[in-house]
Amino acid sequence: MFGIRTWKALRQRGVMGINQRNGDYVLAYNDRRLYPLVDDKIRTKNLALEAGIQVPDMYGIIDTEQGISKLQHIVETHGDFVIKPAQGAGGDGIMVISDRFEGYYRGASGRMISPEELEFHISGIISGIYSLGGHRDRALIEYRVRSTDLFDRISIGGVPDVRIIVLKGYPVAAMLRLPTRQSDGKANLHQGAIGVGVDIATGVTLSGTWHNLKIDRHPDTAHPVAGVQIPDWEACLELAARCYDLTGLGYLGVDLVMDKHKGPLMLELNARPGLNIQIAIDDGLLRRCQVVEGELETLGELADAEPVARRVMFSKKHFAAATLPEQPEAP
Amino acid sequence: MRSVKLHARLLAAFLLLLGGGSIAYQILVQKVPLTESESDPVWVVDAQISFEARNNTPIKARMHVPPLESGFTALNESFISNNYGVNMNRENGNRLVTWSARRAEGKQNLYYRLMLTSRFAEPAAKPEDGPQFRAAPPLEGPERLAADALLAPIRQHSADVETFISETIKRVNNMESDNVRLLLGGDRSPENRARVVDLLLAVAHIPAEPVHTLQLNESRDQQPELWLRTYNGKDWLYFNPLDGRQGLPEDRLVWWSGDKPLLALEGARNADVDFGIHRNEMSALQLAQSLRFQDQSSFIDYSLYELPVPSQQLFRILMMIPVGVLLVLLIRSLVGMETLGTFTPVLIALAFRETQVIWGVLLFTFITAIGLSVRGYLEHLKLQLLARLSIVLTFVVIMMALISLVGYKLGLSTGLSVALFPMVILTMVIERISIVWEERGGVQSMKVAIGTLVAAVLCHLLMVWQPLAYFVFTFPGVLLVLAAVMVFMGHYRGYRLAELLRFRAMTKEGDR
Repeated sequence: MFGIRTWKALRQRGVMGINQRNGDYVLAYNDRRLYPLVDDKIRTKNLALEAGIQVPDMYGIIDTEQGISKLQHIVETHGDFVIKPAQGAGGDGIMVISDRFEGYYRGASGRMISPEELEFHISGIISGIYSLGGHRDRALIEYRVRSTDLFDRISIGGVPDVRIIVLKGYPVAAMLRLPTRQSDGKANLHQGAIGVGVDIATGVTLSGTWHNLKIDRHPDTAHPVAGVQIPDWEACLELAARCYDLTGLGYLGVDLVMDKHKGPLMLELNARPGLNIQIAIDDGLLRRCQVVEGELETLGELADAEPVARRVMFSKKHFAAATLPEQPEAP
Repeated sequence: MRSVKLHARLLAAFLLLLGGGSIAYQILVQKVPLTESESDPVWVVDAQISFEARNNTPIKARMHVPPLESGFTALNESFISNNYGVNMNRENGNRLVTWSARRAEGKQNLYYRLMLTSRFAEPAAKPEDGPQFRAAPPLEGPERLAADALLAPIRQHSADVETFISETIKRVNNMESDNVRLLLGGDRSPENRARVVDLLLAVAHIPAEPVHTLQLNESRDQQPELWLRTYNGKDWLYFNPLDGRQGLPEDRLVWWSGDKPLLALEGARNADVDFGIHRNEMSALQLAQSLRFQDQSSFIDYSLYELPVPSQQLFRILMMIPVGVLLVLLIRSLVGMETLGTFTPVLIALAFRETQVIWGVLLFTFITAIGLSVRGYLEHLKLQLLARLSIVLTFVVIMMALISLVGYKLGLSTGLSVALFPMVILTMVIERISIVWEERGGVQSMKVAIGTLVAAVLCHLLMVWQPLAYFVFTFPGVLLVLAAVMVFMGHYRGYRLAELLRFRAMTKEGDR
């Protein structure tokens, strides 16, 4: 029978299901009290800043209607910036300003935006249009990330990001999320972005996934997605590993962006990261998590004192891809 | 984690045991019917006593009636007569009813009616311990010889009291024996044969007692059949004096025991007792309820049937909610279909009770579609979430009013009985779907809406399934069993069916 065979094949590969993720990982490792730390981007950012983790610079926060007039002052010295709802989900309500012209703002697509329009947008954010459940929210104005050119051939619009799953401070899986036309510049897999597995040991991309399928080429550009080296990979892994010490959340999805000038920046954290990363890395999360849990058990009480570098080293050693794809030829 | 798992398993096992135990107790001990339609035969035994009254003399008719603890449940016992006083008393383990009247004229009829059923019956109360020895009656001459001649081989062929009696009965029914014929003295009636058996047993010092029984089957003019019983020190043993069969069949009712006649009459003549027995069917539930009215203990005590009827109807619905919730839980955790929360599909299923499924589904789809398109339009206006939702809900109410109006004009008012409850639930569902749309996009909200609708229809079908509804209401222990399953599901770590498809790419089959 199809079902039982698939079931066994998945079990054998150590694929994690939703029930297992919720019960054995999210519920077991993530204290619910800590969720607000990652649900509010401003709190996450402040935490990261205290710990010296690189994040996009925060230019200012607007949390009242009266405060909207401060916008001029906040962005005075910055030619480009991003406005985000602090508690938004799925990339909704994010407005990217890439330039200014004669008192007007230029959006990411090149559209001109009047100051009134911008203020109306911020007012919408504050009143909670984009926040979960419609609570009042805060608008966050921050540095606009400039994507590296490395991913130009395999992404369309928007900024690709790197999602690293971290269990108890050990990076277990990583994927590069590339926006597509369908995802409208957003790097969310269920909105149509593609996920490309990343080898933990080297930071080289493997094959990808799109809508639960395995793919080798970007659907829009048709360029192969495998074999791209992510810059500063070691730094990425360490940054992700430190996010555990930062929040105390044992099972965490860390989203990083590669800035052209500043290197890897932590963008946001996710307390219940999705499972499609397994298709991207073509490996079971459960299998990898159990390797880490085995290590934690042998370390016993010493596990908490394990330094970041050692944890990253452990992950690189155990989660290296068996074969690396060849580097695609230069254009 | 491991200890928590063990704890959960113990809890599940405990709940399962508790629930299962209570169900088993109700079924096995209280004999609660498993289905609502389960019915039992109810035997209506009528005894008609007719006689002619002598003029100007007081009349007294004493008749034996069965003891109430006869292995059957007496549902109803009535004495019907005209101008007679009725009295009940006990005598030698028998019950006697006495009808009495100062004077009466002409033909008189008295009726005795007893309704019996074997459900909910206590096992027959044992008659008091009997004697195990009795003195031999004085016998003389040929009778003495005949008795001795008969008893000698019986003694040889028997091992104990039981076999002795069987053997005796067999011999007495052998008419070819001269000894038997002598003792019977030409009267071959069953009564006389029983008398001879009794006589022989008396000679052998074995006590025996005649009992008069009726068979519970559809019949008219049945006459009590004579049986013999004896006490062996532990139990009473019953014998049929005609063929030596041992053991009273289950459909035999002991009417009275001893040598006394069924009816003793003073001041009247030409007495006649006519037995008529017929069979009725009665649902076990009605039975239990009618028993309750007689202050007899039945499973109704301490069950939900004890509640006043309106509360009962409410609880019939309420008790099904956990069933629906469990179904949704299974649909979500095992199948992987997405629904709006766990409780919402159950609420919609409850709403379907009032709108009928078909209408409910149509209404749900139509109004949700309208609501969401209004939402889609409002999105362009950049309204705040709360304002947007309020407008959507207002439009939903307007739509409902229009639908009802159109339905009424078209004469569909019966199909679209607009009740408050379904409308409120629908409105709430639309609000929640809108929120999903806001947070996770249109495709996702459609998925969730369809999942919710499917789950709601399944829940509804399950929750209105009468045999199940009866079972849950009658055996509330089911809920503990359900809770055990829920605890178990809380630790279910297997894949959902939908995930088998989702991760198919990771299997070899998916590669091809």
